[in-house]
Amino acid sequence: MRYVGYLFVIFITVISAFAQTPAYRAPRLNGHPDLNGVWQAMNTANWDLLDHPAQPGPLWQLGAIGAVPAGQSVVEGGEIPYKPDALKKKQENFAKRMTEDPEAKCYMPGVPRATYMPYPFQIVQSQRDVLFVYEYATANRLVNMGPPQKAGSDTWMGTSNGRWEGETLVVDVTGLNGLAWFDRAGDWASDRLHVVERYTRTGPDHLQYEATIEDPNVFTRPWKINMTLYRHVEKNAQLLEFKCVPFAEELLYGQFKKKD
Amino acid sequence: MKSFLRFIILVVALFLSLAPLLVIAQTKSWVPPKTPWGDPDIQGLWPGQDMVGTPLERDGSLGTRAFLTDEEFAKKVAFAEEQKEIDTAETPSPNPRIARGGRFVSCEEDPNLCRNGVRIGPPNYWDERGKPTKQASLIMDPPDGRLPALTPEAQKLQADRAAARRARACASTPGGCHDSWEDESLWDRCITRGLVGSVLPSGYNTGNQIVQSPGYVVFRNEMIHEARVIPVNGRPHAPATIRTWMGDSRGHWEGNTLVVETTNFLAGIPVGNVPTSDALRVIERFTPTDANTLGYSLTVEDPKTWTKPWTVSFPLKRSKDYGVYEYACHEGNYYMSNALSGARAEEKKN
Repeated sequence: MRYVGYLFVIFITVISAFAQTPAYRAPRLNGHPDLNGVWQAMNTANWDLLDHPAQPGPLWQLGAIGAVPAGQSVVEGGEIPYKPDALKKKQENFAKRMTEDPEAKCYMPGVPRATYMPYPFQIVQSQRDVLFVYEYATANRLVNMGPPQKAGSDTWMGTSNGRWEGETLVVDVTGLNGLAWFDRAGDWASDRLHVVERYTRTGPDHLQYEATIEDPNVFTRPWKINMTLYRHVEKNAQLLEFKCVPFAEELLYGQFKKKD
Repeated sequence: MKSFLRFIILVVALFLSLAPLLVIAQTKSWVPPKTPWGDPDIQGLWPGQDMVGTPLERDGSLGTRAFLTDEEFAKKVAFAEEQKEIDTAETPSPNPRIARGGRFVSCEEDPNLCRNGVRIGPPNYWDERGKPTKQASLIMDPPDGRLPALTPEAQKLQADRAAARRARACASTPGGCHDSWEDESLWDRCITRGLVGSVLPSGYNTGNQIVQSPGYVVFRNEMIHEARVIPVNGRPHAPATIRTWMGDSRGHWEGNTLVVETTNFLAGIPVGNVPTSDALRVIERFTPTDANTLGYSLTVEDPKTWTKPWTVSFPLKRSKDYGVYEYACHEGNYYMSNALSGARAEEKKN
């Protein structure tokens, strides 16, 4: 009987050792993990959150330049739980993506898409505040680290309330206007979208990103995306300017231009 | 217990005897708090709306006098009071007075501002009016508070542009030229106000916010949602071939003053109606002078455009509760399609 007791102790010790191994303790800024840096996703989520093979782009004139690279799903479980009508809307979005994807129009990317656009973003973390600055379309958002505030009005980038949970920055995003898409595949949500993001340093140059997405208008249950973000370690790494309005004006206003 | 009381009294007495010294030290030169990593801490909300009523250029009659007399200031305050009354009026008067350049005009005086005797454009309360200040202009150098003369090169460029504009058929139509988006201003196109424009106080959404992290200061403008990330860690500028609308900024601390140098501008970003050149170089200085005041100055050097540098300088006041809204300008830009499609409709009529 005594052996059973010893075995139990060994069993617990081994289990807890395994559970603790992945923990990386990030350098501290004012007692909290320091998330400062220029970060970028290195995946194809902006083309399609789900598993997708390589495929041609919407414009044959661009040849392989406009083609879509293959990629694996960043959605946990590999499926977005759309309601039937909402899935139809996604398919319609995809069919009209050349003119209707907000990215084509240089509109702000919304959350979570801003995180995995194929452009870097910088986390600017002070002793109090956390500011996200995205290179794409100079989108930016301040995370309120004080007492949570209600969204004053619906916006593209939402209202962000943040808190620290040990190694993780948790950002609760509400007040999203539902006009942004999740990707070029037409994945979408309504203005009832609620996103809870979790940023956790997993190494000197790695940041784990997880977002829980719920929207009772569009999805049957909450679902999650998960990906690694990488630090730009180049000595000259900096956000450059990508003001894309001039690149979208022919698309948006070309029909109203004076014809010679 | 008694000894404890005596101790408290001693501490209070010591503090009171030192307090005047503290006050003197503070008024002499205020020392801002430091960030945990040792930089002066100038973070916070610094909206520019107080200075909205102060013109960029000084009234010529004031000469080199940078500040109004008490009498002139009293007039300005009275004007602001009258403006406030007009702004808060429930219904617009059929022949409203409209504030223009330090005086009021009526629809009869300036019919361009009105249609059928009613003011066109947004209601009066739409704009921030600022606080009346004694400062007579935002430009503080040259000493006359006015933009320096254009270089001969820039004068020729301006004249050529004006001539080219006049030569177009659309120039004689009442609505002006709206052939394509390139006829609209960078601001109307929601691209940028440029660096100089971004810090000049505007009539609405004039919020500024500073956030710092180790090695960086970010100057965030509400209007056009700019977020200028300024390295203050001694790294060199981005390559000169990478030109931008907002420039490439580098900063360093001189004592408690943040000095920012910005280069790499695209040519053609306007200040007022003057397009700046690719030689534009902007120097900004941020100096905290007390807990709620950030002295701000901006020097424009563009030897291809102006014959000498010029400097605007004004205090930014801290706000605890200014609400920075998302300025999704481009996303809701109905002006562009309305202006262009309106011009096409006019052409069809003629």
